[in-house]
Amino acid sequence: MKKTLLVMLLFILGSAGALFAQNVITGVVTSGEDGSTMPGVNVVVKGTTTGTTTDMNGAYTLTVPNGSKSLEFSFIGFNTITVDINGKSTINVVMQPGNLNLDEVVVTALGISKEKKSLAYSTQQVNADELTSIKEVNPINALNGKVAGMTINQSASGTGGSTRITLRGNKSTRNNQPLYVVDGVPMLNYSTQQPGSVWGGTNANGSPGVDGGDAISNINPEDIENISVLKGATAAALYGSQAANGVIMITTKKGKDGVTDINFSSNFTFENPITIPEMQYGYGQTADGALDSWGDKLGSDAPDHVKDFYQTGTTWINSLSFSGGNQKAQTYVSYANTSSKGIVPENKFNRHNLDLKETANFFDGKMQVIANINLLHQKTNNRPVTGLYWNPLTGLYLFPRGKDFNSYKENFEVWDPNRFLNAQNWFADSDKQQNPYWIINRNQMTSFRDRVYAMVSVSYQITDHLKIIGRGNVDKSWDKYELKAYATTQATLANTNGRYILQNTEGSQTYGDLLLNYDYHSENWYISANLGTSIRDEQIYGTYFDPFPGNLRIANVFSVQNFLQPGATISQSLYRKQLQSVYASAQFGWNSMVYVDVTGRNDWSSTLPDQSYFYPSLGVSFVASELIKADWLNFLKIRGSYAMVGNDVDPYVANMLNYSVTSSGTVTNTVGLIPGTELKPELSKSWEIGVDMRTLSGRLNLDLTYYNNNTENQFIMIAAPQGSGLKSYLVNAGKIQNKGIEAMLEIVPVETKAVRWSAMFNFTKNTNTVKELHESLSDGIYYITPPDVNNYAMAITEGGSFGDLYGKRFARNDDGKVIVDADGKPMAEAGGLGYVGNPNPDFMLGFNNIVNVGDFTFRVLIDGRFGGDVMSITQAMNDKYGVSLTSADDRNNGGVDFDAVYEDGTPVAGKLDAQSFYTTVGGRDGITEYYVYDATNVRLREFSAGYNFRLKSKIVKSLRLSLVGRNLFFFYLKAPYDPDLAMSTATGLQGVDAYSIPTTRSFGLNLAIKF
Amino acid sequence: MKRIYKFSFGSLLMLFTLSLVFQSCTKDFEDMNTDPYGVTDEQMQADFKIVGEPFKQALQNIYSFDPVWVFQLQQNLIGDVYGGYMMPPTPFRGNINNMTYFLVNGWNQFPWSVAYNDVMAPMAAVDRKAEQFPDFKAWAKIVRVEAMHRLSDIHGPIIYTHYGEVNDDGSIDYDCQKDAYDAFFKDLEDAINTLTPYAQGDSIRRFTNFDLVYGGDFEKWVKFANSLRLRLAIRIANVDPALAKAEAEKSINHPIGVFEDNGDNFLVRSDAGFGHPLNTINNAWNDVRMNANMESILKGYNDPRMAKFFQPSVANGEFLGIREGIDIAAKSEYQDAASKLANFGDVQLMTCAEVYFLRAEGALRGWNMGGSAQDFYEMGVTKSFEQHGAGDAAAYLADETSTPADYNDPVHPENSITAVETATIKWNSGSSLDANLDQIITQKWIAMYPDGQEAWSEFRRTGFPKQFPMKVNNSGGTIPDGTFIKRVNFVEPEYQTNANGVAKAVQCLGGPDTGGTPLWWDVDNK
Repeated sequence: MKKTLLVMLLFILGSAGALFAQNVITGVVTSGEDGSTMPGVNVVVKGTTTGTTTDMNGAYTLTVPNGSKSLEFSFIGFNTITVDINGKSTINVVMQPGNLNLDEVVVTALGISKEKKSLAYSTQQVNADELTSIKEVNPINALNGKVAGMTINQSASGTGGSTRITLRGNKSTRNNQPLYVVDGVPMLNYSTQQPGSVWGGTNANGSPGVDGGDAISNINPEDIENISVLKGATAAALYGSQAANGVIMITTKKGKDGVTDINFSSNFTFENPITIPEMQYGYGQTADGALDSWGDKLGSDAPDHVKDFYQTGTTWINSLSFSGGNQKAQTYVSYANTSSKGIVPENKFNRHNLDLKETANFFDGKMQVIANINLLHQKTNNRPVTGLYWNPLTGLYLFPRGKDFNSYKENFEVWDPNRFLNAQNWFADSDKQQNPYWIINRNQMTSFRDRVYAMVSVSYQITDHLKIIGRGNVDKSWDKYELKAYATTQATLANTNGRYILQNTEGSQTYGDLLLNYDYHSENWYISANLGTSIRDEQIYGTYFDPFPGNLRIANVFSVQNFLQPGATISQSLYRKQLQSVYASAQFGWNSMVYVDVTGRNDWSSTLPDQSYFYPSLGVSFVASELIKADWLNFLKIRGSYAMVGNDVDPYVANMLNYSVTSSGTVTNTVGLIPGTELKPELSKSWEIGVDMRTLSGRLNLDLTYYNNNTENQFIMIAAPQGSGLKSYLVNAGKIQNKGIEAMLEIVPVETKAVRWSAMFNFTKNTNTVKELHESLSDGIYYITPPDVNNYAMAITEGGSFGDLYGKRFARNDDGKVIVDADGKPMAEAGGLGYVGNPNPDFMLGFNNIVNVGDFTFRVLIDGRFGGDVMSITQAMNDKYGVSLTSADDRNNGGVDFDAVYEDGTPVAGKLDAQSFYTTVGGRDGITEYYVYDATNVRLREFSAGYNFRLKSKIVKSLRLSLVGRNLFFFYLKAPYDPDLAMSTATGLQGVDAYSIPTTRSFGLNLAIKF
Repeated sequence: MKRIYKFSFGSLLMLFTLSLVFQSCTKDFEDMNTDPYGVTDEQMQADFKIVGEPFKQALQNIYSFDPVWVFQLQQNLIGDVYGGYMMPPTPFRGNINNMTYFLVNGWNQFPWSVAYNDVMAPMAAVDRKAEQFPDFKAWAKIVRVEAMHRLSDIHGPIIYTHYGEVNDDGSIDYDCQKDAYDAFFKDLEDAINTLTPYAQGDSIRRFTNFDLVYGGDFEKWVKFANSLRLRLAIRIANVDPALAKAEAEKSINHPIGVFEDNGDNFLVRSDAGFGHPLNTINNAWNDVRMNANMESILKGYNDPRMAKFFQPSVANGEFLGIREGIDIAAKSEYQDAASKLANFGDVQLMTCAEVYFLRAEGALRGWNMGGSAQDFYEMGVTKSFEQHGAGDAAAYLADETSTPADYNDPVHPENSITAVETATIKWNSGSSLDANLDQIITQKWIAMYPDGQEAWSEFRRTGFPKQFPMKVNNSGGTIPDGTFIKRVNFVEPEYQTNANGVAKAVQCLGGPDTGGTPLWWDVDNK
């Protein structure tokens, strides 16, 4: 205790003396791997922010305050080294490539860095290399297969599309996406629109199923230093109600002291589709004018017009960054341009990112100011839609075989002398299919996004132990989406003079926080405490203009003033939420062996004005390797934690107005609470236990976590009996449990001077159980995507698990045999839809390999999802229209082999007629049970082969050229499409495909030069 | 926003101190959590909109204007077809649909949901807010009866008197159809009694700004209520003749009386300028065409209203219909071969012609209708001609030979059939009640076009005008071959949200919940 006091005294004296007494230390850092000097190594006086980085020759010069005890050297991929100063003025170190990373520092909630070994919960950090070596336009997609506990579903909307992320399973009926935090400050993440039904759009007026993008896809991957994934509630507890679904923390790059770098990277890839449905070209149209191909066998096969429709996509990502600085100030500037051409003609994407980050130190490094401004401009033409409406793929796939597709391609429009305009030329008048070339040329969609993200952070080291940080940001984005549908677009989709949709969305977030941080180290004790408060205000303002079902005055004039009034839909909306919070946390460490972590947070949300809610968490970790000393065991930690986190409700629902006004009149509100009830926040209670182990000098490492999460009081809207006076009740109901195992196993099978192979297995198994739902749901089903006239629905069911798929099932007899009618047509089960499967995988496995052979680096990522079911409306439609390969195979085969019985129980002998079978079973409203597939798939997700050129140039520091490929092929795929693609990245419409564009294989070159 | 920070390290107690400070910052939350683009009750007070605006919503949803597909499911693919007026050329769901008696639950829930969410809910809102406006309350009753008798005539038992009364088990009780009709008569009586003094006096027309039918004219509303009461009385003429007679005579004897001129007709215009929903289904979607029964009767009668109701077919310039309950392979078969409908203006829910035919039937039954059956019959035809600008009806009324024509299917001759309806036009005095009823109902059927919901109800009640039989019956035996559909089963959402309520409703239905169980008023003693 005396000693402790002495140390404290020394610290205080030390910091006081720092103003007048300083020493200069110099040195060179070299790599233990090959003896080369190492630029960019972080050198800091341990326990302070005083530090620098090595220059291009591996050299550093650092002025250290008197009384400084030791220097800490750290570099990604190398073990951190601490060297005592002991009055030395030269300190040279040799750094060893690390597998151990025992002192690895990770970014945790609120941007607080902690030693990984002290954490009582599982986090996983992914470094820049993983994000940029095989670059994705949306950086989060590069995490696919690399993080245990994380499920990524990319939207089927091509470049610039959004991504659906779930951490440790689906918990909420509304939103399961994690919170994105950039440099400690939450990001406003929303999508202006998402497809909502098998038709496509969400509204009843047949709007296209468009993905409005998300925030994370706006970030330039090159600007990211690392991504830290806080999966569980304990890790995220300090974010309170914003983080019920976990947090993804992004740390961006900044300039470094003493290093000036210019980085240029260029990534060029080709894309082509790999999951085009299998189709037939041998059987012709049923009859002239018919929409389907159940006709006679053609003399010779019709040409494959589908393959010809797709083009080779290309994506260019070029980025340039400048970083440099001295001890006082550091600068980072980057610019990136992404330009892409999709596999569907007329689909283009262009993005510009500009990032400026300035760091300045004042008062000898006691005060640090960071300012960051990030600008984005993005334009997308014809982002691919999903669903049956406005989709070029329906007409493309269903086109009757034997007719001349080229004539419709070349003449997608023809002069109509009666109207004096160019009219769509197509063989059919069907809402479900138009001329594909008409759609891509005359139903054009454009979306623009501009975004400004500005952040300032000021920190001040009040004493050696006490630091105060204040942060604020403004995150603002403007979206504009336009659809211009020319006259003679199909009548269900547009009126006679065409249709013009204009949607403007303006999102803004202002955030401010203040955090007081207290740190204390002694030989035996370590205490870190934080006290903070924050305010976050979100506003998403939208306007929507659409003449439909009304008309335009003048054909093909696309302006709001051309709307023929009345009859148009014009609306304005504001989504507004404010969250105010206070929080505190404390971590106690004893002898680097036992750590106890406590947090508490209280939230006030504007959406529940009369309530406030408090969430605690507690974590304990025990570093057993401090007790058990064995040569093979480098590190062993056992940890456990418990946390409660809440989630508020949507704006206004706790305060429903009785009337609303729409462009077609005043509407009486029919949504409300069950009399005598009130709304509460959702509540997640979770615990996790885990083991972290590093053995054999880091050649065999294991992280294992078991977690159990129970979410209660889901906010749902349930159908009210309509005679009650309301159409829907708003209720808190239910209990959803997610429990599972995450394992990360890292092995280094080969490690020699020339060759190093490291392999990482990521294993995720999540079991979701819906324990209970609202008692008034008599059948225990809550639809997230309700059934419409198409036989698909998605629900949570009591006793089932999140996202259960519902479809039309076969009528079966007591023995479970399918019953066919006298004509041999399978009969459907009476009543509504029934359970047909669940899309969530049973488990996922990622196998990520990095092999270094001399100057070559190879990366291979094999990623598999096992189990789960998905439905293909595409296949069902293709079957019904007789264009699928199956339909031809069965015709060639003389019919469908199908085990069934007649109504009187006699078994069906022989085959069933293919046409009557598929026209009964197939289609969007057929017996969709037949179109449920095993979602298991295993693919070569990433491959790259890179070479580092050793240049004897004074200008170029390094040059790396890589051959890169993504989604190269499937080792295993049962479904007729890629089950990882989602029609929507919102909560509903999962596990189904309706004419989404195929998954693409991409391959190309990546060049990275450092000057 | 002012905050004061004091810190004591590691102290969780601090949280509570701070939380007190915070409380003062959250007082804006109430405002923040109010949708700035919604409408508050306070804002609705101005210009009586809180009691007036809901009427517009209700009036435009008895027969839904928008979205059009809702109307298509609310009525066009039910009553408009079963009434024998129209037929889609489109083989929806592979021809397994309402038109072949496979009752599509996903479609058929719309008459119910529109009635409750867009008529009953706004009218209940009026009830809650209209304490000092008895005229608005009375008006709401009339609108409610007009909408809900149509719903009851589709399903039978409905939720009417127990609307908004949630039982302890969460269920809501239905009214058996008889009880619903009793309540309709009572509500109409109340409304008529309340509004009559307004109509007779010199009251301010407070409805004017909200009335999409009569521009606030109290007298017209009383006439409509009386006419509606007459319609409902005739509807129950077979099942409860005494009550029917009493209610019918009340209307005729009422000082304001019933519809007498086309100026009285109940025609709803759209407040938002939507066109007639049939125009969209007919022209833009090509999902509706003339029914073969229409062709047979109008053609056989050389009826000048044919050209007012339909357009010659695109393919061959003739007036051609499509038979219901046949195999249709592709939309293209009949889309151009059959006749499009004419274009419509306002939505017609009751005409003076119908009222004359109601009176004709009443007179035929020996009720005091203020005139003879023949006179009313001829007035009905004359008023219908006048309404449609079809010229002088005298020659038509004198035609004693023309009968409905045989039907020739332009695409599939195997569907051709000889005429089944045999009534002549000229009043057949001295013949049986049944034969005269056939004439009255057949002419009423023509006059009520295009409101198929009423046509279907009257067809079920009387069997007139006789319709061509169904060739394809996908009802799975619930509607016996050779018969016609009697009703639509209760809606699926009710089974999910109000299971106990539906269970009791099925009991008073007196048969299984299928399309084959006749409604309470659908009895055989004509």
